Amino acid sequence: MIDQSMIDKITELKAKYPKKESALMPALMLAQKANSNNLSEEDMEKVAALVGVTSGKAFGVATYYSMYNAVKNVGKYHLQVDTNIPATLMGALKIVDYLEKKLGIKEGETTKDGLFTLSTVECLGSCGTCPVVQVNDVYYENMTTEKLDSLISSLQEGVMPVKEVNYNFGTECNVLLKNRGLENSTSIDTYIQTGGYKALEKAMAMEPQAITNEVRNSAIRGRGGAGFPAGVKWGFLPKNTGKPIYLICNADEGEPGTFKDRQIMEYDPHLLVEGMIISAKAIDSNLGFIYIRGEFEWIADILEKAIEEAKVNNKMSDIDIIVHRGAGAYVCGEETALIESIEGKRGQPRMKPPFPAVEGLYGCPTIVNNVETLASVPFIIDKGAEAFKAFGYENNTGFKLFGISGAVNKPGVYEYPMGISFNKLIEAAGGVKGNLKAAIVGGLSVPILKPEELNNLNMDYDSCIKHGTGLGSGGIMVISDEFSIPELALRTIQFYAHESCGKCAPCKEGSHTIVMILKKLLAGHGTIKDIAKLEEIVNTINNVGSTLCPTGQAFAMPIKAMIEKFRDEFTRLIK
Amino acid sequence: MTNDIKGLKDSDVALIIGSDTSEAHPVISARIKQAIIEGRTKLIVIDPKEIKMADYAEIYACQRPGTDVAVINGMMHLILKNGWEDKEFIKERVEPETFEALKSEVEKFTPEYVEKISGIPAAQLIDIAELFGKAKVAGLYYAMGITQHTTGVDNVRSTANLQMLCGNMGVSGGGVNPLRGQSNVQGACDLGGLPVVYTGYQKVGVDAVQEKMEKFWNAKLNNKPGYPMTVAFDKAFDGEMKAFYIMGENPMISDPDLHHAEAALNNLDFLVVEDIFMTETAKLADVVLPATTYAEKTGTFTNTERRVQILNEALCGPGESKHDWEIHQMLANKMGLNWNYKCAEEIFNEIAAVTPSYAGMSYARLGNQGLHWPCPTEDHPGTPVLHVGKFAKGLGTMFAVPFKDPAEMPDEEYPTYLTTGRILQHFHTGTMSRKSEGLNRLAGPHVMISVEDAERIGVGNSEDVKVTTRRGTITTKAFVTKRIPNGTAYVPFHFWEAPANILTNNALDPIAKIPEYKVCACKLEKA
Amino acid sequence: MQITINGKSLEAKKGQNVLQVAIANGIYIPHLCYHEKVGAAGKCRACVVEIEGMRGLQTSCSVPVREDMVVETKADTVLQAQRLVVDLMLSSGKHDCLSCEQSGHCELQDAAYYLGIERPTCQYGDINREVDETSEFIKIDRNKCISCGRCVAACNNTVVNQVLDFGYRGHDTEIVFNTDKKMAESTCVQCGECSQICPVGAIIDKHAIGLGRLWELDKVETVCPYCGVGCKLNLHIDRKSNKIVKVSGVEGSPTNDGMLCVKGRYGFDFVGHEDRLTTPLIKEDGQFREASWEEAIELVASKFTSIRDEYGADTIMALASAKVTNEENYTFQKLIRTGIGTNNIDHCARL
Repeated sequence: MIDQSMIDKITELKAKYPKKESALMPALMLAQKANSNNLSEEDMEKVAALVGVTSGKAFGVATYYSMYNAVKNVGKYHLQVDTNIPATLMGALKIVDYLEKKLGIKEGETTKDGLFTLSTVECLGSCGTCPVVQVNDVYYENMTTEKLDSLISSLQEGVMPVKEVNYNFGTECNVLLKNRGLENSTSIDTYIQTGGYKALEKAMAMEPQAITNEVRNSAIRGRGGAGFPAGVKWGFLPKNTGKPIYLICNADEGEPGTFKDRQIMEYDPHLLVEGMIISAKAIDSNLGFIYIRGEFEWIADILEKAIEEAKVNNKMSDIDIIVHRGAGAYVCGEETALIESIEGKRGQPRMKPPFPAVEGLYGCPTIVNNVETLASVPFIIDKGAEAFKAFGYENNTGFKLFGISGAVNKPGVYEYPMGISFNKLIEAAGGVKGNLKAAIVGGLSVPILKPEELNNLNMDYDSCIKHGTGLGSGGIMVISDEFSIPELALRTIQFYAHESCGKCAPCKEGSHTIVMILKKLLAGHGTIKDIAKLEEIVNTINNVGSTLCPTGQAFAMPIKAMIEKFRDEFTRLIK
Repeated sequence: MTNDIKGLKDSDVALIIGSDTSEAHPVISARIKQAIIEGRTKLIVIDPKEIKMADYAEIYACQRPGTDVAVINGMMHLILKNGWEDKEFIKERVEPETFEALKSEVEKFTPEYVEKISGIPAAQLIDIAELFGKAKVAGLYYAMGITQHTTGVDNVRSTANLQMLCGNMGVSGGGVNPLRGQSNVQGACDLGGLPVVYTGYQKVGVDAVQEKMEKFWNAKLNNKPGYPMTVAFDKAFDGEMKAFYIMGENPMISDPDLHHAEAALNNLDFLVVEDIFMTETAKLADVVLPATTYAEKTGTFTNTERRVQILNEALCGPGESKHDWEIHQMLANKMGLNWNYKCAEEIFNEIAAVTPSYAGMSYARLGNQGLHWPCPTEDHPGTPVLHVGKFAKGLGTMFAVPFKDPAEMPDEEYPTYLTTGRILQHFHTGTMSRKSEGLNRLAGPHVMISVEDAERIGVGNSEDVKVTTRRGTITTKAFVTKRIPNGTAYVPFHFWEAPANILTNNALDPIAKIPEYKVCACKLEKA
Repeated sequence: MQITINGKSLEAKKGQNVLQVAIANGIYIPHLCYHEKVGAAGKCRACVVEIEGMRGLQTSCSVPVREDMVVETKADTVLQAQRLVVDLMLSSGKHDCLSCEQSGHCELQDAAYYLGIERPTCQYGDINREVDETSEFIKIDRNKCISCGRCVAACNNTVVNQVLDFGYRGHDTEIVFNTDKKMAESTCVQCGECSQICPVGAIIDKHAIGLGRLWELDKVETVCPYCGVGCKLNLHIDRKSNKIVKVSGVEGSPTNDGMLCVKGRYGFDFVGHEDRLTTPLIKEDGQFREASWEEAIELVASKFTSIRDEYGADTIMALASAKVTNEENYTFQKLIRTGIGTNNIDHCARL
């Protein structure tokens, strides 16, 4: 029901953003929450009119992002089980089976009493604590069948149980995870007590160009996956355009295997806030955005609270930061799609050029940096570029968070210098559980490596390239010999087909076609021609790079590598 | 239009008053909407109905029907008060004494006074005047909502006053732009289809003109201006008029007060109708002559922006139907004239020879883009924008226009304003559009009434309503909508089943002789 | 400036993109989402080419020309990428050319022909989307839709009716009317801009279905008979039956640039209507009877003459027409003024 108080809230949202259309996503979410988590057609139309967009636009947005329940109805408790690769490697399918039997419904169905809907969903950014079941907004991690029993009975009594927090982590560098484990680690007092906001003080006395120079000298490369030097990116901003400049923090952590940014935001939000305030000064921006994936609802709250604290403590005299929640779309991790999403549109990539630095958010110069990148800035300013470069080595400088999931004994997030050996990292994560079959070391979109390829691998940009893969976001997924590669390939491409934004033809139809071919092969109906077709598609997309954004290569590369490196597992499927 | 369609995008501000643009001129509305969404143009809509274009407007104001003079005078009052007028334009291009007269007339049209007359809140009028007055270039677009009043000429003069005051004449994106309602209504006027002028507005009765035309046509000509149609109907009713020759028109749907019109036509000795269908009017005729449609003929139309464009014959007319010009030639020759046209192009060349504004045109030059008149010579590029640099007559004349009420105002017996017009799916008297089953399925006869009026008389959407005026009654379906204010009803005039013009008032503008279709008083009842 | 495409030096203007230069010079590059009117979208990826000095393939619709640019449209990698895209599109829809209304006028068909794709090779799933025939004049077959986005851009940015949009995601992406309503229940005003700009057979003028393929019909350019905007339109004519099959707006026309309204595009039934008058009629004893032209003209001429002679020319009134041509209004008033001798001529400009 859209009542007067919601109309007032939507009016407030419209005023909060530079352009009112940006209020569409949060307004739709408000309407959904007020209507037992379902988004009705009538509400969509009303919200569209209130925000000032067409009803088609509202519908387009509501059916683009997976968190809106616009064309599906969900029960009072929406149980969403992450079944992406790390989750699958860690037993998520057993959780789905168990829930199906326990609730007497299939995946995608709602119990007769309307209490439960069971869905499988893609990566929830919780790879270190899989299996995870998201109930409405709340994550229940490290799930077991026993824990499920108590969760369900509590929900049946109408009580959302308090969630248990039990993550593995470790740090050798003590920067990004410095405050991890402290009591009240999110409060500004804790942050200041441990030396926080000193860098900001220093930065306030610096010229913007000096800040940029320091960051450039640190040679920090973007931690989101592409690895582009952050200082160089800042230098692309055109001068004196008369338009405002926006700083966006990309916190849409969605690459399967990646759950590192969340550690910073959830446990040390001021590190990011400080990094953003300093970076904004460097690029002469007065408005920043944190685009956080919608599933991290509680983390968004933590960030908003931190921003509020920073304001109260006079840390933000020249800048405001808006936390903009996504609503379930992997592609929004691509910077132009992310910008579209903040503008209240379907999060689909734009054609480049123009690049965001020239024409980004609302057509204005915009810098988009990853959480980890921005959170590294206070260290660079406080201790200097040289101190940063003391970690790692040339072209691969600094400290880095690695998320380790899958078949290891202590999955979690670990902070090490760039160039740490793969084996040492696995050791830190408690060693391989079972027999090592393969690993994917840079998030799902990089080529898989076999054990012999992992031996001499160091976790940095250059070593990964040398080994025929990519460092990506540093999300390591360890695969034991319990798992079949064709099945993982299907699971992989299902993820990309689910997340393909649908804008460009080769990605939209290519990913879907690969799903269909792999299903056919796995069902035992395949022929050698089907494998050839599969390779033709991935080779063309990978070699020619004909998709609008990197998503095409993001699925073509890993599938191609899986077929090439584990060909016999595929040919064995042909009867 | 003083300006062209393409130049619409050059308006910083567009004012639509008395035009339901997206219904009656959809493609022009698209051009205006394009300019709005591209961020070039801000729109002001003033209309008694909250028309679709209001959704795109910066400001939408709802005036009482028939109060346009007061509204525009009020705008001018505020523009002058705030010094937003174009002083240089006024000094260079306007007759000073007429400007002074205007100034003193609008003196009393304070926002509060205008609010009393029009119902537009004073604060809103101030916003409108500011947005319009401060615009670098503002275009004004109107249709029959301005002209079909007993004060039609006053209204038109007011629009011209406003545009001269703000210096919006003779610039792309500015101008006074009546959107013409029929495919060749501009051409029919240009080609002498008016009682007081020959082609190109050469005045009947002026010696030089009479002499020129007599010589050109080699004929003795009547130097007395003729009667306008509305007057002719009255004269037919009175028995003074004996015969009518009607080509391609259907006054039995389009005339005001149809009972009166029917009596007038029935009172004639002889009625000839030349048309493509057995129209409501043709049924009353003594002789009906079958003509061809646009798809079956070659010729030219002149559109609302004065662009002359070529029609090409695509089909053969059915049976023995003939082109209108062929019929005229047969009659002319039967009446002893010696005509010998072989094709439309030959006629066009004759038009060019006798019509200064068309003199530079030929089919070859019109090509597929057409030309805007005036195009006086063979190397003239045509004139997309009129009055650039100077008015044709020299200095522009402003008119001090006092406000007058419409001829018939709501009262106790007939408490509701009735206004009429068009809808998107149909055209004029329906002779063409109503032959499409598809269009008929999309839209039928109805009366738009407000939610409040519907509740008051106890009808719901699509239920039958009786609409009665002093002249007659129709029964039609209610279309209950928030887009029309309480106390106003709107009936589209395309439908013979529920002819709006049974209801309308045939009170005329004293100069233009245009009937007041846009305002009369009615009562609504549940049928 | 000069650029080179496939070894040929060509004249190009600043601000043009590579595809525009190719089109202007008769060089075919498959392109399914780009349209002059709605611009580049970068969606179909069929227009990729090789450009010297640029990494990977580039969409020719989005790359602006530079002096001395060297473009290759027929390199193996180019054709391989184009083939994949067109094959995937053909595979993911029901493009039944044999019976498709758009056959011969279909841009996907043209691309398949150019690339030598005989039949789709990636058909792995069922294609069964509901066909929406609820609208009076337009049929929507989403099984043939390639999600090029032209219709969405046209509806939102050209005619600005803002009805169409994209809904859903990925392979499920569909064009939707408002909140995915049936077309007839949506706010669509059926201007038909979407049907005119659709490159394939997904959006089709319903009443033209089965009445002849576009290339079998004669095309005659003329002016719309309805309001005064003067939209230029093409009549697509079946000569054998002497009928209008379809109407399209003339792209690039200064008045309407291809746009039309529901009347201009679809309201042409009256031309071929069975109730058209086909012969002169004379009323006798309150009843019409058919007459020859000679008889009718004789009667009218003699009646007008006798009334004029008896009561004076000014007792005859003539109504010209805002719906006939300039030439015919001219001959009409000339007849009235010179033949009858009165200036009693008017028309319904005011009504």
